[in-house]
Amino acid sequence: MTQSMRVQLDRERCQGHGRCYVLAPAVFESDDDGYGLVVSADVPPELHEAARKGAGNCPEDAITIIES
Amino acid sequence: MSDTDDGIDLTGPPQEMYKFLRDHMPVMAVEHEMMTGTSVTLHADVTTVLQNADIFSSLGAAEIGQVRPLIPLEIDPPEHSKYRKLLDPLCAPRRVALLESSTRALVNDLIDAVIDDGACNFHTSVAEPLPSQVFLTMFGLPVERTPEFIELKDGIIRPPVENFDEATEFRNMTGQKIYAVLQEAIEEKKANPTDDFISQFLDAEVDGHRLSENDVLDIGYLFFLAGLDTVTASLDCMLAYLAQNPTEQKRLVDSPDDIPAAMEELLRWESPVAGVIRVATQDTELSGCPIQAGDKVSVNLGSANTDERFWTDADKVDFDREINKHIAFGGGVHRCLGSHLARMELRVGLEEWHKRVPSYELKPGITPEYTMGLRSVDNLELVWRT
Repeated sequence: MTQSMRVQLDRERCQGHGRCYVLAPAVFESDDDGYGLVVSADVPPELHEAARKGAGNCPEDAITIIES
Repeated sequence: MSDTDDGIDLTGPPQEMYKFLRDHMPVMAVEHEMMTGTSVTLHADVTTVLQNADIFSSLGAAEIGQVRPLIPLEIDPPEHSKYRKLLDPLCAPRRVALLESSTRALVNDLIDAVIDDGACNFHTSVAEPLPSQVFLTMFGLPVERTPEFIELKDGIIRPPVENFDEATEFRNMTGQKIYAVLQEAIEEKKANPTDDFISQFLDAEVDGHRLSENDVLDIGYLFFLAGLDTVTASLDCMLAYLAQNPTEQKRLVDSPDDIPAAMEELLRWESPVAGVIRVATQDTELSGCPIQAGDKVSVNLGSANTDERFWTDADKVDFDREINKHIAFGGGVHRCLGSHLARMELRVGLEEWHKRVPSYELKPGITPEYTMGLRSVDNLELVWRT
């Protein structure tokens, strides 16, 4: 059974390194200032790996993945 | 060669020295021409300092010839975010992307000038002119005066003197010349505004107030020093590594899609901007060592990026590293404003160089000599088959 995944990006912690949206552009995107945004909080199964990669590479640990 | 009294060669690769410091004196009193204070080398301490701008202020951190606090580097929150709000969009990926094709053309022009020679000093032929020309054009200073500006920048970062007092004096004198260059440009842009940064600063508002001319000077001074040195040092470090590691070099030639990940790993391993400085605003401690209010703290980014307490296989350069949250561009609220521009220039530089020069090495007899702090390699003599 496929697990469901939600992704949260803490805008207070985000400092605009830009790693998430470069590594996982289907899951994250840049705002006009270069800070991260989540494309859709519910991540479809085919993007789970990308989401984990984007979250894991955040130097500020600003991204949380919730799997259930 | 620059040796310490103990005979340690400080011009070589620094990673072993970082490890020695982490293992034996992770919080250490230091005194050298840039600062007197405490140096920290553990990833945990470095992160603590960067993430707590209220306790570790950047006001007064860098004495680089300025007469007022640099904006936004020496401005603490909450003021800091007002300036970042203005400056971030100018340096954001969307804006930087507009410069990619002209940057690519510039890299190729620089390579054209040397490729038939089968040899060049990469530092002077590519690593210096590339970011200088990109930056000066974007910023609004005349590209034809690049050599003069590089000399001014070097007068701050690597003053040609022997001791601390002389260095301070030389920096202050050079700083006045930089202010004069900026002031001249401001006058010109007031008369004839264009779409460059200086013109936009003059037209910009923070909290409903126009930036003052001093604000523009204080932003400009920081940009001038940051824009003219850091990418040069980064390109030097990366090419010096690749020239000495043919397997990795060949991989970038054969698989250009691997260049972004390779670039991130080399940013981690080399950490071309080796460290930054903060000032404690209150008595505190790092790894149990007391830090007093007013103490300067030198944060070693290069050591944090190679700390085996934090990284798996910390001392292995691995272009396939899945998780690479290095802090080569710093971290916390002062994350390098130019990081997106720097990454674009580095990626395009690596892509074009490896397309055009598919196999190169150090000129026989050359040992790369790294400068301290901002790690450029002035003697980066490369050779290749034509």
